[in-house]
Amino acid sequence: MAERVFITGMGMITAIGDNVAENLEQLRQQRSGLGYTSYIDTIYKQVLPVAEVKHPNDALAALAGITPREGYTRTTLLGLTAMREALRQAGITDVQTAPTGFINASTVGGMCDTEKVYFDIVDSSKEGAFLQYIDTLDCADCTQRIADTVGFSEHIATISTACSSSANALMFGARMIKQGFLPRAVCGGTEALTRFTLNGFNSLKNVDKQFCRPFDQQRTGLNLGEGAAYLVLESESFARANNSRILAEFTGYCNANEAFHPTSPSPEGDGAYESMKAALAMSGRTLKDVDYINVHGTATLNNDVSEGKALERLFGNDVPLFSSTKPFTGHTLAAAGAIEAIYAVLAIQQGLIFPNLNFTEKMEELNITPVTALMEGVSVNNVISNSFGFGGNNASLVISKYEG
Amino acid sequence: MAAISPQSTFEGDVFSAPLVHTDSNLLTCMEPDYKPFIPANSLRRMTRVLKIGLTTALQSIRDSGVEAIGPIVTGTGKGSLQDTEKFIREIEQYKETALNPTPFIQSTYNSVNGLIALQVKGTAYNNTFVHRGFSFENALLDSMMLLAEGAPNTLTGAFEEMTAEHFYIKSRIGFWKPAATDSRQLYEQLSPGSIAGEGATFFVLTGKPGPDTKAALTGFKMLYKPTAEKVAAGLSVFKDGVDLILTGRNGDSRYEHFYQQADALFPGIPQLPFKHLSGEHDTAGAFGMWLAAQLLHRQQVPAQWFPMLKDIPAAANRILLYNHFYGEQHTMMVLERV
Amino acid sequence: MEDLKSKLKVQIIEALNLQDTKPEDIDDNAPLFGEGLGLDSIDSLELMVLLERQYHIKVEDPREGRKILQSVQSMADFIQSKQPA
Repeated sequence: MAERVFITGMGMITAIGDNVAENLEQLRQQRSGLGYTSYIDTIYKQVLPVAEVKHPNDALAALAGITPREGYTRTTLLGLTAMREALRQAGITDVQTAPTGFINASTVGGMCDTEKVYFDIVDSSKEGAFLQYIDTLDCADCTQRIADTVGFSEHIATISTACSSSANALMFGARMIKQGFLPRAVCGGTEALTRFTLNGFNSLKNVDKQFCRPFDQQRTGLNLGEGAAYLVLESESFARANNSRILAEFTGYCNANEAFHPTSPSPEGDGAYESMKAALAMSGRTLKDVDYINVHGTATLNNDVSEGKALERLFGNDVPLFSSTKPFTGHTLAAAGAIEAIYAVLAIQQGLIFPNLNFTEKMEELNITPVTALMEGVSVNNVISNSFGFGGNNASLVISKYEG
Repeated sequence: MAAISPQSTFEGDVFSAPLVHTDSNLLTCMEPDYKPFIPANSLRRMTRVLKIGLTTALQSIRDSGVEAIGPIVTGTGKGSLQDTEKFIREIEQYKETALNPTPFIQSTYNSVNGLIALQVKGTAYNNTFVHRGFSFENALLDSMMLLAEGAPNTLTGAFEEMTAEHFYIKSRIGFWKPAATDSRQLYEQLSPGSIAGEGATFFVLTGKPGPDTKAALTGFKMLYKPTAEKVAAGLSVFKDGVDLILTGRNGDSRYEHFYQQADALFPGIPQLPFKHLSGEHDTAGAFGMWLAAQLLHRQQVPAQWFPMLKDIPAAANRILLYNHFYGEQHTMMVLERV
Repeated sequence: MEDLKSKLKVQIIEALNLQDTKPEDIDDNAPLFGEGLGLDSIDSLELMVLLERQYHIKVEDPREGRKILQSVQSMADFIQSKQPA
């Protein structure tokens, strides 16, 4: 029998807060992090809303506990900030005391900083400190800088499966624990806003000029966000021997591919259906045991139809309470899966269902609507968290209340 | 398994192919005709690394005799550089307006995985690792876990390209030898830097040997930024019965001391280097594994590929592959004859 | 109009890299998507980029784009309607 996997620490930074407590407070207050960028050099500054972390890099470096220096990109600084909190919360002062893996996720690495100096980098007549950003372009750079700063050396990996990246990082870490490779792993992802990504999604014509409206008939697209989140996962035997404080149990997961289209989900949500169904089966929970679904809910035309159809197919007339928290944080791509996994733990711990902001009109294709106001005092025992991405990558996680 | 590399490794009797060499410090892939593999309507948008990645994946499935492919797991350090560069340039050129989405979509690191899944209708697990010299090796670890969890097989591979622009960028931080170096003499004159390469390598892996099985992977270790002592300790775990060592030696004087650990630990055991064949890149380790499996399967060593060796080793039964990427990500594998 | 349509066909072939297609293979009224040329949603985005780069016409709403991009004829009609006579 494979070991159970527990969540024993969490750390995050998003547009709605520099740590888990601030995020919880803003979710309770139903305050969105959407606004306009202060740090990206783009013609869409006042046009396309984003959920930006409200600190310049110098301030982020302070939060991350390092002195500002070349080569530390915003991606790294966001990640390091979240990492420090996750370790602190798990009571880990030295990651070397037990073999600890670090499974990170990133979609564009240090592009946020590299894109600012790229044309200098390729210009042989230019020399300068910018050359220190050359190696930050790939996704491993942030992982290694975070690992080296806090001392991880046991097993490190970086995953990039677009918007499901950090959900897959959590899964990979949990599987390494279950197979006995590691007693503990810190998993999640980090994502900084970039001109590259903003123009990328805009070229796909799926960025909303208004604040995004998931599962709403009038939705026209997503808003990008930035942030980072990490969860400390421990095997049951390690957590018990270590007297770890157990926040929740990671009971199920599934990664399935749609094989339908390079960027679009299938209209009936085949991949979403399969991944939710299989993750739930693995968790040993039934459809009726699911109290809340934190949907992917990007507010693109295609995602919400497809995901909604999958919910209706799987749960029939009893679709659980669901909401997208993207109107709070924006779509944080590689960080989204881990951010929303933490929200799932918070929902369980606090007995809350977070609202799906900006919803007014039911979609014509669906019979279901999301939760639109904060619900308190709800008994939340099992949460499904969905993350779906380009390339047909679908990931669903099941996070459950720890019951001993 | 299948490989597109700077050598003629994709089709035919690969071990009788002549050695391809260069003095440009960049070993470029020999590209096959893609039309038998990819429908024209899909091919028209794809850039080079997507084509070599997808085609190698499809060829390895053909070669394996496996009918239904399970999970698809890959590693790539850089993904599609050509698309990334193009999108950065077009953002600048068109001042952020009227941008084609294709280079953005294809710059996504998991785009090759998505294309493979689309073409083989692979709806199982799908993952992409992007961690320099651990990209392919994490994909391999993931695959081994999937097999242990009951997957019938996995399609596991790596792909990497080098563009002129990226070659220049990396030259600015000392990745390549400053002087033009004949790839056949890569190991003779140690100096800082190596020569660049690229390629795609895919394997179909199963938990049990079958009639088409080429080799068995029996030992595996990854070490992040280890000391030379840790490397020696890691290598010595795999000491028993090894009769050939494949090393990722690349002529870079800065990190040669790691490979010298293997020299000291395995006196008298013959060694073959492979970076003069593949060039140095994030996922060159996958090419090393392909070469090891070929050597075990064919029970011969293609002498013409190793003009720098006085003695060509005899066929091997148990190969230790030791590679590292610029001193940071170290990987060790044991492959055995089946 | 005929000139515009011929020019459009050449531009479509170039923009979408339709290597085995010649301008004369494209019927003015044949559907570009699905059965016709076998184009997909990414091509439709690329064709909107073509309209923007070559004709300085911006199509914001992808749903509107679908109608405009039905065929070479509908594209040409749209371009002409946007240009001063």
